[in-house]
Amino acid sequence: MNNLIRKMTQTRELFTVAFMFVLFLGTGIVNPNFLEPGNILLCLNGSVIYILLAIGISFVITTGDIDVSIGATLGLTAAVCATMIRDGSSLLAASVTALMIGAIIGLVNGLGVTKLRIPAIIMTLGVNGVVRGSIYVYTEGKWVENLPAVFKSYGQITLAGFVNFFLLITVLIVIGVYLYIKKANNGKYFAAIGDNMGGATLIGIPVDKARILAFILSGTFAALAGIIFASKIGFVTPTAGSGYEMKAIAACVLGGVSLTGGVGSVVGAMFGAIIMSSISRILVFLQFSSNWDDTITGILLIIIVVSDALIQKHLKEKARRERLAARDLKAQKAFEELGGESR
Amino acid sequence: MRTLENFNWKKLILRWEMALVLILVLEIVIFGSINPRFLKIPVLLGSINDYISICIIALFGTIVMITGGIDISGGAIVGLTSMVLGLLWQDAGMNIWAAVAICLLTGAICGALNGYLISYIGVQAMVVTLGGMFLYSGLAVVLSTLSVSSAYEGIGGFPQPFLQIAGGRAFGVIPNPFIIFLILVVIAYVLLHKSRYGRYVFLVGVNPNAASFSGINYRFVSMFTYVLSGLSASVAGVVLTSYLGSCRADLGNELTMPIVTAVVLGGTAITGGRGSIIGTGLAAIVIGLLRFGLQMAGVSTQYLDIPVGLLLIVAVAARGASLYMKRPSFAAKKQKAA
Repeated sequence: MNNLIRKMTQTRELFTVAFMFVLFLGTGIVNPNFLEPGNILLCLNGSVIYILLAIGISFVITTGDIDVSIGATLGLTAAVCATMIRDGSSLLAASVTALMIGAIIGLVNGLGVTKLRIPAIIMTLGVNGVVRGSIYVYTEGKWVENLPAVFKSYGQITLAGFVNFFLLITVLIVIGVYLYIKKANNGKYFAAIGDNMGGATLIGIPVDKARILAFILSGTFAALAGIIFASKIGFVTPTAGSGYEMKAIAACVLGGVSLTGGVGSVVGAMFGAIIMSSISRILVFLQFSSNWDDTITGILLIIIVVSDALIQKHLKEKARRERLAARDLKAQKAFEELGGESR
Repeated sequence: MRTLENFNWKKLILRWEMALVLILVLEIVIFGSINPRFLKIPVLLGSINDYISICIIALFGTIVMITGGIDISGGAIVGLTSMVLGLLWQDAGMNIWAAVAICLLTGAICGALNGYLISYIGVQAMVVTLGGMFLYSGLAVVLSTLSVSSAYEGIGGFPQPFLQIAGGRAFGVIPNPFIIFLILVVIAYVLLHKSRYGRYVFLVGVNPNAASFSGINYRFVSMFTYVLSGLSASVAGVVLTSYLGSCRADLGNELTMPIVTAVVLGGTAITGGRGSIIGTGLAAIVIGLLRFGLQMAGVSTQYLDIPVGLLLIVAVAARGASLYMKRPSFAAKKQKAA
């Protein structure tokens, strides 16, 4: 059974990667310009913010909870970071403050969910409102503009002439998080809790701590995305990041992370985020209007989850049949050994 | 014993609704003392125009949540309905009432698609309605580009009878949306609490397996809740279009969170099996009046998310704590019985 689950999770990621390649190659066949390295890199660069959000929320989703406050967290941290830098703080101080704010918001979410026993969607929904309002209080409803050129230029730094600085950081983070989940002692706690919370408690996993940690990670990654958002966009509006939480959840689902918890990986979430943010670019290369962006996202999302559900249903049914057949065989053997006549 | 348990449970719900009424009265008193204009009946009743769509969709979102699902595509359906209405009326030259009928059908079809994928294919409700949210709001944007009028202006200039849906006042005092809301409350209440279908809805929420073993077509029961929810979203879309007098694709973009807030604040359990229409109706008005009252007290619109968010967290935490406190008494009763 364990083996079967592992196989299924692997195929889920592979499914996403294969889907991405088909999508990119298909677009490339219609319009070869799409497959130029420069363009692919632009696709990847454009998905950095979604990748970070999706990684963060994938911790929460694998534990079986959900976090809809990350969009607002992104907006608040972006506003705080941008304001501090505009007023002359160092990048380090601004980033640390932003990350701390993200972690604190995550901590509040986690404490509410685990200690006050508020369902995750409600807790994070409430926090979403509070944080979103705080952005207006903090910025007094104004845009944060006139950021120093140095801060805005980080997005243009490239390594070896083509790898973007932010993309590099993101890829390193994905690798780090992947190794943490696969190799670290407590990296598998999240999936274990999402798969079976009662069982996880019984074998001694500190369930509450791990769930709080998942929320803190989610908030921190949203803050990191917020810093990059401020640098990339160059100004921060009070509505920055609204709706991003839904896109991050959609990216996770596209990447094979199950919203019931226990199944999925950060690598899947990353590819989901890349697909998600590349859709509008693909549409342009296919000579569609980018107005179709959300429609296509919705259709893709529904197709992927429906086919996934059908495949899983089929696998489950098959496994059940095999189990029943094996049991029948066993019973038959036992019957013969007892000296009964075979039917 | 069983009747005793039932009685306690009912009492608990009643108490929650009483708490909501208390909050409502407090709101009216506090805001009334800050700004006396708030207490004028036409102002108080007229405020419902601002949050009528939340009220309408939350009522039927409650039924969805009682089956253990969730519908976050309501706001998107509002925008889609509005665009369909405008296109059919202006660009296709259809009679406005025929267009309204087709709009309601559109909402029902959107809901049916959600419901089919959730209850017959077995995909999680959150995921399907998330996809539906993108799909329907995306379609609304696409439709808005098909129209001859520019997307920013929106389609306007509807005939007077249509504008009367939201703009008119029954008996010269009560705004029509308030009447519509009351009618829908009665319909939803009878459907959920007084009909056989409503009992099935609760049963599916408590235990879908038990529902299927007792011969109930539980898949259809839960699918139909999404149809109702989609239908209510399209009703809200029509009312909102009539109130604003123009069609916009992004009409319902900010509605998703307030709807879920209203449903949960109304005492519906997010895990399903528990909830009431009256609670949701009261909660929707509590939220609406809170926003309206703060606005009248001079608080800027943009800050309103903070009190609403805090209210949600505090209310749910208090409610959870009160349920938690109930537990020991149950154990004590058991001991007494033994």
